[in-house]
Amino acid sequence: MLTLKIWIVQALFIFFTTESVGELLDPCGYIKPESPIVQLGSNFTAVCVLKEKCMDYFHVNANYIFWKTNHVTIPKEQYTIINKTASSVTFTDISLLNIQLTCNIRTFGQIDQNVYGIRIISGLPPEKPTNLSCIVNEGKKMMCQWDPGRETYLETNFTLKSEWATEKFADCKTKRDTPTSCTVDYSPVYFVNIEVWVEAENALGKVTSDHINFDPVDKVKPSPPHNLSVSNSEELSSILKLTWINSSIQGFIGLKYNIQYRTRDASTWSQIPPEDTASTRYSFTVQDLKPFTEYVFRIRCMKEDGKGFWSDWSEEASGITYEDRPSKAPSFWYKIEPSHTHGYRSVQLIWKTLPPFEANGKILDYEVTLTRWKSRLQNYTVNDTKWTVNITNDRYIATLTARNLVGKSNAAVLTIPAYDFQATRPVTDLKAFPKDNMLWVEWTAPNESVNKYILEWCVLSDKAPCIQDWQQEDGTVHRTYLRGNLAESKCYLITVTPVYADGPGSTESIKAYLKQAPPSKGPTVRTKKVGKNEAVLEWDQLPVDVQNGFIRNYTIFYRTIIGNETAVNVDSSHTEYTLSSLTSDTLYMVRMAAYTDEGGKDGPEFTFTTPKFAQGEIEAIVVPVCLAFLLTTLLGVLFCFNKRDLIKKHIWPNVPDPSKSHIAQWSPHTPPRHNFNSKDQMYSDGNFTDVSVVEIEAANDKKPFPEDLKSLDLFKKEKISTEGHSSGIGGSSCMSSSRPSISSSDENESAQNTSGTVQYSTVVHSGYRHQVPSVQVFSRSESTQPLLDSEERPEDLQLVDNIDSSVGNLPRQQYFKQNCSQHETSPDISHFERSKQVSSVNEEDFVRLKQQISDISQPYGSGQMKMFQEISVADAFGPRTEGQVERFETVGMEAAIDEGMPKSYLPQTVRRGGYMPQ
Amino acid sequence: MKVLAAGVVPLLLVLHWKHGAGSPLPITPVNATCATRHPCHSNLMNQIRNQLAQLNGSANALFILYYTAQGEPFPNNLDKLCGPNVTDFPPFHANSTEKTRLVELYRIIAYLGASLGNITRDQKVLNPNALSLHSKLNATADIMRGLLSNVLCRLCSKYHVAHVDVAYGPDTSGKDVFQKKKLGCQLLGKYKQVIAVVAQAF
Repeated sequence: MLTLKIWIVQALFIFFTTESVGELLDPCGYIKPESPIVQLGSNFTAVCVLKEKCMDYFHVNANYIFWKTNHVTIPKEQYTIINKTASSVTFTDISLLNIQLTCNIRTFGQIDQNVYGIRIISGLPPEKPTNLSCIVNEGKKMMCQWDPGRETYLETNFTLKSEWATEKFADCKTKRDTPTSCTVDYSPVYFVNIEVWVEAENALGKVTSDHINFDPVDKVKPSPPHNLSVSNSEELSSILKLTWINSSIQGFIGLKYNIQYRTRDASTWSQIPPEDTASTRYSFTVQDLKPFTEYVFRIRCMKEDGKGFWSDWSEEASGITYEDRPSKAPSFWYKIEPSHTHGYRSVQLIWKTLPPFEANGKILDYEVTLTRWKSRLQNYTVNDTKWTVNITNDRYIATLTARNLVGKSNAAVLTIPAYDFQATRPVTDLKAFPKDNMLWVEWTAPNESVNKYILEWCVLSDKAPCIQDWQQEDGTVHRTYLRGNLAESKCYLITVTPVYADGPGSTESIKAYLKQAPPSKGPTVRTKKVGKNEAVLEWDQLPVDVQNGFIRNYTIFYRTIIGNETAVNVDSSHTEYTLSSLTSDTLYMVRMAAYTDEGGKDGPEFTFTTPKFAQGEIEAIVVPVCLAFLLTTLLGVLFCFNKRDLIKKHIWPNVPDPSKSHIAQWSPHTPPRHNFNSKDQMYSDGNFTDVSVVEIEAANDKKPFPEDLKSLDLFKKEKISTEGHSSGIGGSSCMSSSRPSISSSDENESAQNTSGTVQYSTVVHSGYRHQVPSVQVFSRSESTQPLLDSEERPEDLQLVDNIDSSVGNLPRQQYFKQNCSQHETSPDISHFERSKQVSSVNEEDFVRLKQQISDISQPYGSGQMKMFQEISVADAFGPRTEGQVERFETVGMEAAIDEGMPKSYLPQTVRRGGYMPQ
Repeated sequence: MKVLAAGVVPLLLVLHWKHGAGSPLPITPVNATCATRHPCHSNLMNQIRNQLAQLNGSANALFILYYTAQGEPFPNNLDKLCGPNVTDFPPFHANSTEKTRLVELYRIIAYLGASLGNITRDQKVLNPNALSLHSKLNATADIMRGLLSNVLCRLCSKYHVAHVDVAYGPDTSGKDVFQKKKLGCQLLGKYKQVIAVVAQAF
């Protein structure tokens, strides 16, 4: 029961659902026509009819209908309200192929609802097929084809219809992929006219082509003749006979033929005249062929009256004509080879094999005859194409004939001139040029009659010898091409020799290329000479193997690293070139290209640097400088030579040997050699180079102060160290004084101490320049006079006093120094300047200076001495007055004035107003 | 025989001849209506001659092909087995008028066509692998169809003969194999003999 209830419920649900869906699927109206196919460009009207039920439900009528095409509303001007339920729309000149047309209503004033829709398909009716034609391939069924006409945009069926006068054949329906042709199902029947036409039909119409009526035999394309064979004739070397089997159609129709032939290596066909093959046949003899030549044949046929189609070509068949005697004598030439036998020559006779069209068969051998002038003939049979024979130096005549199975050729005659024959009469205006991928040679014939010309050529190469090839031309020829396997980019040396009746003429040669190409290598440039602003470049001519053509010119490209490249064209005959206007001290890169008619090739790049100076420029500077230097040196030497005394006095003065001096000569009885008038004079004589040291042995027991001793010790050491340079010459002179002449700060005190005591002085002479003094002389000073220096130069004493006052008391040990050589201490500074410098030294400086002196190590030679001298000067002239400075100037001037005076190293104590030793 | 021609042959033609080649062609009065699908070609007689030549040219080859295909004893007993001993073969008078000759030709070709149909049917059964023979038989039958069309067109267009009564050969369907082969060979022998005469007559 429950199950029944459930089933009823389900059934009701399905029923109501179906009803409601049915209501929904039921359209509100419909369009007429349902599936229109319209011709393009025509008018079309569609009507939409609303259902009453729908109109009531939506409260609409035909006025509410609006149309759409492809979702675009159509203007209402195209609508027509037919009645309350129907509205139509009209299209004029339909151009679209496929239109979606819908009928719509607007319900409740705003909701657009689609009522119905149709698709309008547009197209064109078929055009009348034209150019209907049929072909009957023999053994196959008839096939017809036609032009279908314009595109219809609709599915169009083409049907080929055919019939006899008495019966109709089945239609031939075209296949979808070949709508313009159709092959009938039945076999063709010849000699019965058949009428054929095509019907083209689509939704917009059906059209029929023109009927054609024909006998199928007039549309036949026969099968080609088969089993074509070729045979020759021993009687006639110029004919070949063709035989073949005709197709079966030949049994009831006549045929005509096309026969074509060519030689085996030819590409174009020759054809037998059609009138010779205008009827049915099974064989044909081809004439006027070349002997011993292979020919290829082919044949085709068609209906005799020319109706129908030519068959395809048959398979090719070939045959060789029979041999004939050689038609031409071989090309004949000779080469003379050196022979070791005196009076004989080795002659190599050479000839060319005849080409097949001249040999007319297989050449079996060659017959050579050789006839010495007015002697009997000699016969030789040769299988090769060359023959070497030793002949005398006389003139010979050689003949050559080629022999084949049928016979001999004509004889080629060659005159081998005598040994001493002088060849003359060459060809002129010899030219060689490439044309049509061949190398042509042209010349002007000599005036004399020429039997033939011999052209020889070979490839010029640096690596291989020139292997000659040759050919012969008739005497009437003056233009030919080289018949050999010529290569491109090779240089050929071509010679032309005219051959006269009495022998060969002289040869003319020319070089040529079959085809030029750019060189395969560029020239390698290098510098021959590089100057400051120019460089001479040189290069080698390119080897002929890499030239690939005639070198027309060179181009030199050079540039600096940053500069633009400059190109210079150079004639091909040159092998060097000078680049000018170069910049000095610059890196240049240069390369070179060689050009033929077909292009150029760059060589490797070469780098060079221009020098900074031109050649000889350095010499031009150095040599004058050296000369100037030499001149200056020479002048200096001359000057020195002239001023040698003065220089000698300054650099290496004559130093008397103290060992040879005699104190006794100081005796008052001994008159002075010079009259020294003044102490200035003495200074002048002594100069500052004359340093005299007098070491005075003090008897004083008084011990010196330690510092004094130290100072004194230092001074002594210095003095010792300077003994080698300044001997005691000054000392000896000073020692002769009644009192020691001092220049140190101890001088004052020493002067005071010596005033009341007898003084002994020791003359220390350590020798000049390591000369050992012979004896140490002690002399006793008997004088109690104060030193004249002290008397006459109170300033100095005062100076010393001043110094002493600052230093304190000195020990009795005295030392004396006469610093006479200001030049040595500071030779660059004048006395005046030096004095001024010294005058600027204050006391503190002086003390510091003394302290420095004490710190300096002692035995240092001249440098030490120099320092010491400076200090001495400082000691002597430290706190100095103006007057002292002025006086020093005077001394300097006097010294200069006295340069010319003879030098005297007499004791300097002998002075104006001085005393005489007792 | 008349009964046979009136009953069996039309059936054979319907079954084995193509394109209505065996439709009855009774001899009709001269003034009977004669209609063709399209006008007949003006060169009909030439075509008929060519067709006869075509048939004549291939008749001997067909005969040889046939008896060769049948095997022994036929090739070596042609006189006995393949002699032209065909009864009721339509007559032909070469010296008669063209119309008569055409009518007689029509009957001969109709007779031969029907017989070739029977032979072709039998050979497809007896020598199914003799394709060359089958092809030759079909080709000959096709030529005869064309010849009938031309003759009828000529009779119709020129002599207004729309119908010609024809006679057909014996039915071989009930014969044994040898009899079928023998009847076929005899017919082809007769055909070779007659067609040469007829071709010569036109």
